[in-house]
Amino acid sequence: MEDRTDKTYEGAGGAENGNQNDTVNTEANDGVFLEAKGIYKQFSGVTVLEDADFSVNCGEVHALMGENGAGKSTLIKIITGVYTKDAGELYVEGKSVEIHNRQDARNLGIQVIYQELSLIPALTVTENIFLGAETAKHGWMDKKAMRERVQSLIEHYGFDLDPDAVVDTMGMAKRQMAEILKALAFKAKLIIMDEPTSSLSAAESEKLFETIDGLRNRGAGILYISHRLDEVYRLSDRLTVMRDGKIVGVLKKGEIDPHTVTTMMIGRDVAGDEDKGATKRYEDHWLEVKNLSYSHMLKDVNFTAYGGEILGIGGLVGSGRTELIRCIYGAAKRSGGTIMLDGKPVSRSIRRNIRNGFGYVPEDRHAEGLVPLLNVEKNITIASYDKLSSASLVNRRKEIAWADKAIKDYDIRPPMRTLAAGSLSGGNQQKTILGRWLSRDLRLLLLDEPTVGVDVGVKMDLYRLLREFADNGAIVVMVSSDLAELVYLSDRVLVMRDGRFFEEFTRGNITQESLLLAASGVHTEEGMSL
Amino acid sequence: MASKTIRRMISIGLLLIMVIIFSISSDVFLNFGNIANLLKDSAYLGLIAIGMAFVIIGGGVDLSAGGMACLVGILCVRMSTMGLNGFLIVLAGVILGMLCGFINALFVTRVKLTEFVATLALGFVYSGLTLIFAFRDDRGTITSVAIPKWSSLRAFAGNVGGIFYITIVWIVVAVIAYIVLTRTTFGLHTYSIGSHAKSAQMSGVNNDRIKMLGYIICGACVGLAVVLQASLLGSSPLNIGSGYEFQAIAACVVGGVVLGGGKGDPISALVGALFFKTLMNGLYKFGLATSWEYILQGGIIVVATVFDAVFNRATSKRLLARAQ
Repeated sequence: MEDRTDKTYEGAGGAENGNQNDTVNTEANDGVFLEAKGIYKQFSGVTVLEDADFSVNCGEVHALMGENGAGKSTLIKIITGVYTKDAGELYVEGKSVEIHNRQDARNLGIQVIYQELSLIPALTVTENIFLGAETAKHGWMDKKAMRERVQSLIEHYGFDLDPDAVVDTMGMAKRQMAEILKALAFKAKLIIMDEPTSSLSAAESEKLFETIDGLRNRGAGILYISHRLDEVYRLSDRLTVMRDGKIVGVLKKGEIDPHTVTTMMIGRDVAGDEDKGATKRYEDHWLEVKNLSYSHMLKDVNFTAYGGEILGIGGLVGSGRTELIRCIYGAAKRSGGTIMLDGKPVSRSIRRNIRNGFGYVPEDRHAEGLVPLLNVEKNITIASYDKLSSASLVNRRKEIAWADKAIKDYDIRPPMRTLAAGSLSGGNQQKTILGRWLSRDLRLLLLDEPTVGVDVGVKMDLYRLLREFADNGAIVVMVSSDLAELVYLSDRVLVMRDGRFFEEFTRGNITQESLLLAASGVHTEEGMSL
Repeated sequence: MASKTIRRMISIGLLLIMVIIFSISSDVFLNFGNIANLLKDSAYLGLIAIGMAFVIIGGGVDLSAGGMACLVGILCVRMSTMGLNGFLIVLAGVILGMLCGFINALFVTRVKLTEFVATLALGFVYSGLTLIFAFRDDRGTITSVAIPKWSSLRAFAGNVGGIFYITIVWIVVAVIAYIVLTRTTFGLHTYSIGSHAKSAQMSGVNNDRIKMLGYIICGACVGLAVVLQASLLGSSPLNIGSGYEFQAIAACVVGGVVLGGGKGDPISALVGALFFKTLMNGLYKFGLATSWEYILQGGIIVVATVFDAVFNRATSKRLLARAQ
């Protein structure tokens, strides 16, 4: 895997090199904007940040990487005034500062773009930007002045935005731009972005990257937090890696390569993880999809997946891949075609399918996976009451044992049954949802972006679990945007485009380059080497 | 200790403190007769609150409970004047309540109205029907008619050793409701749809069916409550249920059933109802005017809600810190 990953990053980087050479111009505004020295933070006796030295320059994209719990969020929260540090010094433009709350941070020019965007959907871009700081003339809102101010900002930064567009009519990428514009309107000099591409498609992400390049050229500092190596590679001038509350190292552009970064992040060499031999196929257990269609999103989709196999579904967001597995699960009602499991027709009802051994890990665990107020135990057992109750009375002893076993088997941390699932870290939430399904005798597991927002270590755990699960004879169908993941895990990959299957790859021929090309509509020629 | 337990102990603790204060400051509060009466008064509200808890925990609200109580009440008195057996009338009351709940649920799950709008509208309808079924004299003026002296429905106003039947029913229903909500698949599904409907659905929960059962149970509780209350009062005044939907919601909120769903249980509703009625009972002994009762009720709802918000934030912070 190491080898393959390296290739992509080179590939991805190569494609962007021309672009970057034109735009990178850090020399012109070379100055340290923010410097943190010896930051220390404890939570109820647990040290979460230790002796952290860190700096961001003006006109620099500085990436911050680390596993969940490495201390990234704590560091950010100290910089933005959400937490106060226990010890250490903060300097902004050379002057020692104390940041007690968000307002302090904002006044110093530090702004955060949150993962969950903070725009009001019913208002326009202009109204959102000035929300709470409306320009008024004799008590009346001066709409014209506000609009002009926004328009001039848009022109200054070369954004592709309409100041009068209502937010809920805009795509995610534009919303993010509006969010950035809002930060700029308040004279942000350091913009912090936390996983900004998690809800963007590839094309939208690329647009965002261009925006970020533009901001850098105008002297803004960008602190970029991401789990995605390819993005960090594409964007950053420097990269700080954190582990266990400490800064492990700072890499300059050119020093950043996936292997080094991964090793720094998890503190051990991952190269040995990926010896995969041929997997066994159970021909007596199969899922057959024939002529499946779903409104205009899916047209005549045909495929067969077998037990023991992990079938990857690739393609861009909007290519119909999510709809495909939702139709199989019953979460979307197919408009035509047949789906058979072991030769028997598959129901359109989620409940009946679950009883027949289906499991589904949705793309957005917050929207459709997790029941955050309920504890970890209930989140695991919720789909298994058919096995845990008789005459609809729940057997508590069985239920507790079931949950404890899943927590142990899938290494959910902290291993507390009674903790509200919403308070777990992203990776452990995902393990909980996976545990919900894997703890049952599943015949078919449908996954949509199973490792989004999950750190590298947990990712490897999840991969191991999924592989074991398939090896035991279950069918696994996995939609993913993460090319490395598709390559690493799949026995076969079907790439979708415009609601149809575009190209099929089997083990040995699956490379990130060819998947990427197929997703964007280019057939890989026989024997073509990249 | 689980945050649930802490919350429960706080509300019970406040209740006890109140009881102690009233017992010390008034010599008529802590005697068997008064306490039995207090428990009787609490039971009517408490039963409705238990039903309400099912709906609220499932993420909804039933604003029709008051109108429903009025309608079921008048129909039960009519049945008693027709000479129906008391047991059958109680049964009929429960079934009528369930029917109303079912209609509520149909409007929520089939017509897809929001729960607020559906139950608000149907509450008006039930109130209107109450007037249609009300007793009228020869000139068509609405009159009050008592449950006939000979009706066996009156037997339900009785007591065992001074504790009224309605109180006993209330406690029994609370315990059953608690078991149903915490130990059955239906109960756990109720919490899950109240906490996050979409995730629950994706995990195989039949949201519509759970919602429907919640409303039907709420209706059953309202029906049971009002038929027993009518038996105690000897008639069913047209306003027997008026305002009780809000009082029941208030009792739930004070007891720790969070509006929006997913938190609390029937015991919370029980404690909440007891809390309100104890306060009113104690203050009455002080001779406080009715106006103050309402103002105090409002104040308590605000305090309880603010407390829960702060409390929940503190708990999740504590859990997060522990998780880190």
